[in-house]
Amino acid sequence: MTNPTAPTPTVGDKLRWAIQDTATITWRDMIRTARQPEMLSFAVVMGLFFLLLFNYVFGGAIGAGTGVDYIQFLVPGVFVITALQGAQQTSTGLAQDLAEGVINRFRSLPMSQVAVIAGRTVADSLRNIVGVILVALVGLLMGFRFASLWGAIGAIALTVAMGYAFSWLGASIAAKIRNAEMVGMLSMFWLFPMMLASSAFTPTSAMPGWLRAFADNQPISVAADAVRALTDGTPAGSATLSALAWIVGMLIVFVPLSTRLYSRP
Amino acid sequence: MASTSDAPVIVAEGLWKSYGDIPAVRDLSFEVRPGSVFGLLGPNGAGKTTTINMLTTLLPIDAGRASVAGFDVERAPEAVRQVIGLAGQAAAIDEKLTARENLEMFGRLYKMPKPERRARVDELIEQFRMTEYADRTVSTYSGGQRRRIDVVAALIANPPALFLDEPTTGLDPRSRVELWEEIRSLADGGTAVVLTTQYLEEADRLADHIVIIDRGTVVASGTAGALKDDLDRDVLEVHFASVGDLNLAVGKMAGVTDDYGTDETSSKLTIPISEGSASSLALLRRFEDAGIPIVDFHYRRPTLDDVFMSHTDEVITGSGRSK
Ligand SMILES: Nc1ncnc2c1ncn2[C@@H]1O[C@H](COP(=O)(O)OP(=O)(O)OP(=O)(O)O)[C@@H](O)[C@H]1O
Ligand SMILES: [Mg+2]
Repeated sequence: MTNPTAPTPTVGDKLRWAIQDTATITWRDMIRTARQPEMLSFAVVMGLFFLLLFNYVFGGAIGAGTGVDYIQFLVPGVFVITALQGAQQTSTGLAQDLAEGVINRFRSLPMSQVAVIAGRTVADSLRNIVGVILVALVGLLMGFRFASLWGAIGAIALTVAMGYAFSWLGASIAAKIRNAEMVGMLSMFWLFPMMLASSAFTPTSAMPGWLRAFADNQPISVAADAVRALTDGTPAGSATLSALAWIVGMLIVFVPLSTRLYSRP
Repeated sequence: MASTSDAPVIVAEGLWKSYGDIPAVRDLSFEVRPGSVFGLLGPNGAGKTTTINMLTTLLPIDAGRASVAGFDVERAPEAVRQVIGLAGQAAAIDEKLTARENLEMFGRLYKMPKPERRARVDELIEQFRMTEYADRTVSTYSGGQRRRIDVVAALIANPPALFLDEPTTGLDPRSRVELWEEIRSLADGGTAVVLTTQYLEEADRLADHIVIIDRGTVVASGTAGALKDDLDRDVLEVHFASVGDLNLAVGKMAGVTDDYGTDETSSKLTIPISEGSASSLALLRRFEDAGIPIVDFHYRRPTLDDVFMSHTDEVITGSGRSK
């Protein structure tokens, strides 16, 4: 009774499906973003908000205390924070998706199921590129400077890559919790402290030792430090390697985890 | 897809499914051949959607086995998904996209080549008269327009096995008839269709074979005609002027039979008449003698509704059966 003509997909088929379907879902998510431009602006507005707030409210004090040019210090940090806001939107967006009926059709289609998440992480990263460039433009108006064009490209690429890895973390949380409000609220408890206890806005040298041990090594800090080295054209030391290690490590953990959590009915 | 043989496309063998301790589907078996429409009927909660979800790889099967086009639903879900189209009971389209974009997206996910996909999208939009709103986002659609794009989305890839869970719910009479014609012509083209519905007229017109399930298990099965013949009784319907008259008439039924139903909204009394029971004439005379005016009455062959009611737990006319 078996029908020899309709195929059981081979590994090659599945790989091809994964790429094609990710492109399709990315296309879909980008249409949705274009129809809800506030989703794009939110991450950018948050970035600009931090940029202005920290520069004009805390800039004087922090700058005086550390003797660094604060705007030059702050902009790379805000890059990373902006990309993180984008990852946070992956989380709420996917949770919303999972509550929508269309997910049930996706599950019944001959498609790569990981593409539903992958498409969203790609769309969110494309949005992050726009967001980070906008922040950079405002930063330039405020006196921030890239040391070189390649440094600028590298900085934006590294920022977006870190945001991409965080998107998969956000996707895992969404696939587990499946409630957009809950996911949004939860991020206040992990994302916010991680953002502040990092070198994104302030040098960690003023933090107490126990906090500093965490702050120096967590992914937001290593990303901010590595991006800073790229924008300033200074030697990055181990920061770039640590940042890449974090990106790879997070992808290794969260790509399979989010896919598994998503596959539950 | 009108495949070489007449072997069944959809096979369910002894399917079981429980949610926790509560069985939703119990030992359900059936087959659907190419070119035929299989009607799955049953009251709310009977297990229709659960059955469809198992057959379309959405829900794990507890026991039994199922296959579509020869592919085992549990062991080869990815193969099964290539040969099915599903219009589930709950809407499953992207609200933020237009109808055209939705169809385009599903066509891509089915891996239809671009020219074929474009042509098919245009064809479906035209055929189902969606041109007027096909380029608006679905969130602006009326309930029926939404239902229509949802069902149409299942047709995009011309799958050999089609699962439609209450496809015409919410459609206006004209759209319903159009969809019936489309389903019929798909079946005539060789598609195997599983259809659930609450509109028995729909099953009567469309389904080549009907299974009535109640509490997850089969209570009757056959063609619409055979099921009606099996019922072996005709039905007398008597309409009264008011609910008050209806209740008086019900009072007069005491001692005659307690196998009847009432419909208070239309003040209607429905009494099955079989050999050996009181004759219609005697019943009508009884009401007349009691001075209860009869507005209208019909003596008719059983409909699929009567078959349904007699096999499922609900009494002839729902809330009916006084006392
Ligand atoms: N996720 C679930 N958890 C627990 N019970 C469920 C779940 N889904 C369905 N059920 C129960 O299983 C039974 C069968 O449900 P199902 O949705 O298959 O019925 P149905 O025949 O489609 O009904 P309807 O005509 O109302 O659509 C019902 O009693 C329902 O309450
Ligand atoms: Mg149902």
